[in-house]
Amino acid sequence: MIEQLGNGLLLGLIVAIASVSLSLLYGVTRIVNFAHGEIIALGAVLTLFFSSSPESSFLYLDRFSPLGSSFIVSSIASILLCGLFGALLELCLFRPLRKNNYGNVAVLVITIGLSIFLRHIFLLFASAKPASYALDLQKREDYFGIQLTPRNVQVLIIGSVVMILVGLFLTYTKTGRAMRAVRDSSELASVSGINSDYIITLTWIFSSMLAGFTGIIQGVINNVRWNMGFLILLLIFAGSILGGIGTSFGAMFGGFIIGMLVQLSVGLSFMDGHTEAKNAIALALMILILLIRPQGIFGSKERIS
Amino acid sequence: MNKAIIEVNGLAAGYVKGLNILQGIDLVIKENEIISIIGPNGAGKSTLLKAIMGLIPISGGRLYISGNELTNFKSHELIKKGIGYVPQVANVFPSLTIEENLEIGLWTKTKNSKEGKKEIFEMFPILSEKKREKAGNLSGGQRQLLALGRALITKPDVLLLDEPSAGLSPIAIDEVFKSISEINNKGVSILLVEQNAKRALTFCDRGYVLDQGKNSYTGTGRDLLDDPNVIDLYLGKL
Repeated sequence: MIEQLGNGLLLGLIVAIASVSLSLLYGVTRIVNFAHGEIIALGAVLTLFFSSSPESSFLYLDRFSPLGSSFIVSSIASILLCGLFGALLELCLFRPLRKNNYGNVAVLVITIGLSIFLRHIFLLFASAKPASYALDLQKREDYFGIQLTPRNVQVLIIGSVVMILVGLFLTYTKTGRAMRAVRDSSELASVSGINSDYIITLTWIFSSMLAGFTGIIQGVINNVRWNMGFLILLLIFAGSILGGIGTSFGAMFGGFIIGMLVQLSVGLSFMDGHTEAKNAIALALMILILLIRPQGIFGSKERIS
Repeated sequence: MNKAIIEVNGLAAGYVKGLNILQGIDLVIKENEIISIIGPNGAGKSTLLKAIMGLIPISGGRLYISGNELTNFKSHELIKKGIGYVPQVANVFPSLTIEENLEIGLWTKTKNSKEGKKEIFEMFPILSEKKREKAGNLSGGQRQLLALGRALITKPDVLLLDEPSAGLSPIAIDEVFKSISEINNKGVSILLVEQNAKRALTFCDRGYVLDQGKNSYTGTGRDLLDDPNVIDLYLGKL
């Protein structure tokens, strides 16, 4: 099991960041966004699109690499475009739905439709074959008994810094506070002088940028696939719910635990040869924990009066 | 003569298009006044406050704030025009600390945030003691004080209060009404919706009685308390 610790840390980090972005979006907009996985994939696909080398196996896109092979520049551009995509989703789709008082279930079904639509757009343009960024191959080395490549270590550091920055942003900035206020009650935020629509748009941008970032690091650690967001979506939901849906720090923690457990369970003896079933144990544990603590690990019971 | 801060003429509004709960309400709140709105359940009292606050669309009539027509302005824009509002339920941000709740009230202000908080903490010392606690852990009475503080921190000209005594203990109700009175003494007009009609009419300068979305009676608090029709319909025999 110990040999899975490095992979566990990496998957834990990915699920943790993705859970924060999903949980924040849910908290502020009350939208259970099934298309969140596709925004994650969008970050990875766009980065591949921008930085792909001529010999890339990406269909149609193999000769299009406007930003050359600069992976960093391509990543930053992709994250910004994911933010723009989030803003467009809010302005062109979810805000009109909100203004027309569409029910939660209707909006949920729309996000499922959006997810399927986007995923197949990726399939159409990016082929079904997994692709990798044009980064040199690295060997795993020993870091305090954990096997990781130097790039994995960089990813762990950058990912942790991003999570800390997100935490600081939500806790200490005026906008972060306003996001938490709209999460508690958008009506009360409005009558406190906050333009809730503006904060919701900012949340879409912020959450989508975070999701795009997650996709990029997922692409670095594994590879880029058309359905990579969909495959990880269930783990993200599990992480958010386990931590306490709507609580950012809970989602961070819950996501990390789920990601770790999924990967560590691969090392269990009876899982030998059945690694595709690795989600089972983590999700079973999630159900167990929620039976005991329905509000999630960090979710709090609050007075209703 | 005191000038009108809020003036409502023939206001019609409702939650669903074509189904107006308010059917032509007239109302004036002048500087420094305490106005009570009373009436049976479903008369449209809370709906009136929500319509004034831009939380539900106004389908007829006009709303003037300090002489300017602001019909169907958005809530966050009305706050800048000098209105404060405390809803009946969900009137604090439960996951934010008390201090953060007050800071949210300062969203529209760029300066004097420390000064504003200090004033509120002086007015409500209990909030100062618990300023790092989550608002969700406060008792009903303390929540009401925090909600008042959050609305007051913008220094509004008029404060709209939706049933501030709902669900509170008699001691907490006394405390909340004492605070409202102090706020009014500082020059803030009060528009109060209350279930406790006798208390509200004793407390206010003038009152409006609503019934089925229309004005039915209006007058000074004393006059309404003595009016046999109002007694029969809403107050019961004294």
